[in-house]
Amino acid sequence: MLLVISFLVYSGLELSPGDAVSHMISPELASTITAEQLDAMREAYGLNQSFLTRYWIWLTSMVQGDMGYSMAGGVAISEIMVKTVPATLELSMVALFFSTILGCSLGVISALKRGSGTDNSLTVAGMAGVSIPEFFFGLVAILLFAIELKWLPVGGRLLPHYETLWDRIPNIVLPSLVLALMMTAGAMRYARSSMLDVLAREFITTARSKGMPEWRVNILHGFRVALTPVVVLIGFRLPLLIGGSTIIEQVYQWPGIGSMFIRSVRASDYPLVMTISLMYVFVVLTASLIIDVLTALIDPRVRLGKE
Amino acid sequence: MEDKNNIALSVRDLKTFFYTNNRCNKAVNGVSFDVEKGKTLCIVGESGCGKSVTAATIMQLLPTLSRIEEGEIKFQKDDKIINIEKLEKNGKEMREIRGSDIAMIFQDPMTALNPVYTVGFQISENLKYHTNLNKKEIREKCISLLNDMGIPLPEKRVDEYPHSYSGGMRQRAMIAMAMACNPKILIADEPTTALDVTIQAQIFELMDKLKKENDTAIILITHDMGVVAELADNVAVMYMGNIVEAGTADDVLRRPTHPYTKALLESVPVLGRGKNQDINPIKGSTPDPYNRPIGCQFAPRCNWQTESCDVMPEITQINETHQVRCHKYEQFFEKYK
Repeated sequence: MLLVISFLVYSGLELSPGDAVSHMISPELASTITAEQLDAMREAYGLNQSFLTRYWIWLTSMVQGDMGYSMAGGVAISEIMVKTVPATLELSMVALFFSTILGCSLGVISALKRGSGTDNSLTVAGMAGVSIPEFFFGLVAILLFAIELKWLPVGGRLLPHYETLWDRIPNIVLPSLVLALMMTAGAMRYARSSMLDVLAREFITTARSKGMPEWRVNILHGFRVALTPVVVLIGFRLPLLIGGSTIIEQVYQWPGIGSMFIRSVRASDYPLVMTISLMYVFVVLTASLIIDVLTALIDPRVRLGKE
Repeated sequence: MEDKNNIALSVRDLKTFFYTNNRCNKAVNGVSFDVEKGKTLCIVGESGCGKSVTAATIMQLLPTLSRIEEGEIKFQKDDKIINIEKLEKNGKEMREIRGSDIAMIFQDPMTALNPVYTVGFQISENLKYHTNLNKKEIREKCISLLNDMGIPLPEKRVDEYPHSYSGGMRQRAMIAMAMACNPKILIADEPTTALDVTIQAQIFELMDKLKKENDTAIILITHDMGVVAELADNVAVMYMGNIVEAGTADDVLRRPTHPYTKALLESVPVLGRGKNQDINPIKGSTPDPYNRPIGCQFAPRCNWQTESCDVMPEITQINETHQVRCHKYEQFFEKYK
């Protein structure tokens, strides 16, 4: 899987016009530079070799753990990753946390009060959350909370070793909430329908016939069963969260992997693009593995071959 | 039936209506019966006649669109008489009765157990809410209940999930759950419809044993006349929300007086009479509950229909135990004299 995707991305980069060298040279220099000089630079970076040879060299070194160097800055890619990955992880994890908790609880409330005003307004809010693009929310949130109300900073991220945890929180609130918004809306809609589905099942009546209080019937018997499909959904939305973070990182100047990705694509910095996209693929695959483990934990029917 | 102390549950003129799309379905339309301690009352009738709704009404487990319109459900708890219909649907008092004094077994054991909890956990919930046993005692009780139900290796099975139980075992587990607190009344809503015949016999044997050992009254809802003949002490035949005939099993099965009961009995093949026996299905089908016939509900399908049937017949007491809702019952009853 990783192999196929890496090849596809590599081919895609090859097909796009220009190469790293043409981005390196400033426009003023471009008029004076000779074709020989350009060729020499290409040779130095190994760009004169054929497409497949370059892919092979890249692949073998990648397997050995050598991510290579960024063509734009000459910095080791591993170094860039160490700087940017924690920032993105921080952002997405906080967003994931918010969206899961908010989405599930709102969905359950909505299901339990089906047909009420609360349910209807949550449904409308959910539809809006799903359909309005997040960069729009991002900009509106900046306008409202950062510029008008001046409650929270406009963007950026403070470096871990400079500030205490407490100082860093205001910076992460806006981007993570905006990022969480779409996931929350999706999780809420899904939790609601899943919960309604479960509440109509017969074992809920059984639970009620045992004379247990309503909260225990709803949460222990209802929500516990309704949770499985919601976990699967959130898991499959995880890549979306990371994809979304690319945009949100741009909007909030968050120095994460998403903004790095955009820069590297613009510069045709193929070693960096390759590494980052490989990492995305890796995250998606890991996410589905985690989902499998989680569903087995939640739903005993999935645990097979244990007998 | 005169001895009031013998009656565990008494239902009087119960009406439960469903409201959908501004229409009203009178699912249970004036039902009265008594359940005696340690006896089995079978409620028989075809699909949609209100049997299950009656059961759900007694447990106050009705869906949101329905409500008890009229009538009384009197439950005798120790020496007090509790009017169930006056209790709050999911209030504390109702919950105390549910599962502890009146327990219920459902039709399909495949869906009535929660798939994500162990059988032991689901039985223990009942004990947790209605007894003061501690954790260890609850576990022991669960194991002994499963053992009583004839589940092999109960110490191991108690920690297993419903999906590793067979259909018959699940129904046993359901019964274990229902019997956990020694209820005074056990309501079984077609408990064996989803099971095959050999298992059916085992389940009924088990219920009969429990009835004798614990003096539990059983309300058995079924449409299987064979089951009725086997288990019932008393029988109530329902049609379109009314009880059309009620009495002891002997009364109803041997001296059926209502044309509907007669028709029901005639539509059952009898083992040993060979393949050429006459089986008379009831003609037509149950009327649309939103478009009921006037008067006697069975009249349009009845072979003996006359003009007098345009008025709903009152309940007539034939003898101490036997009652019927038909204008022309005498005609039928003559024969048995």
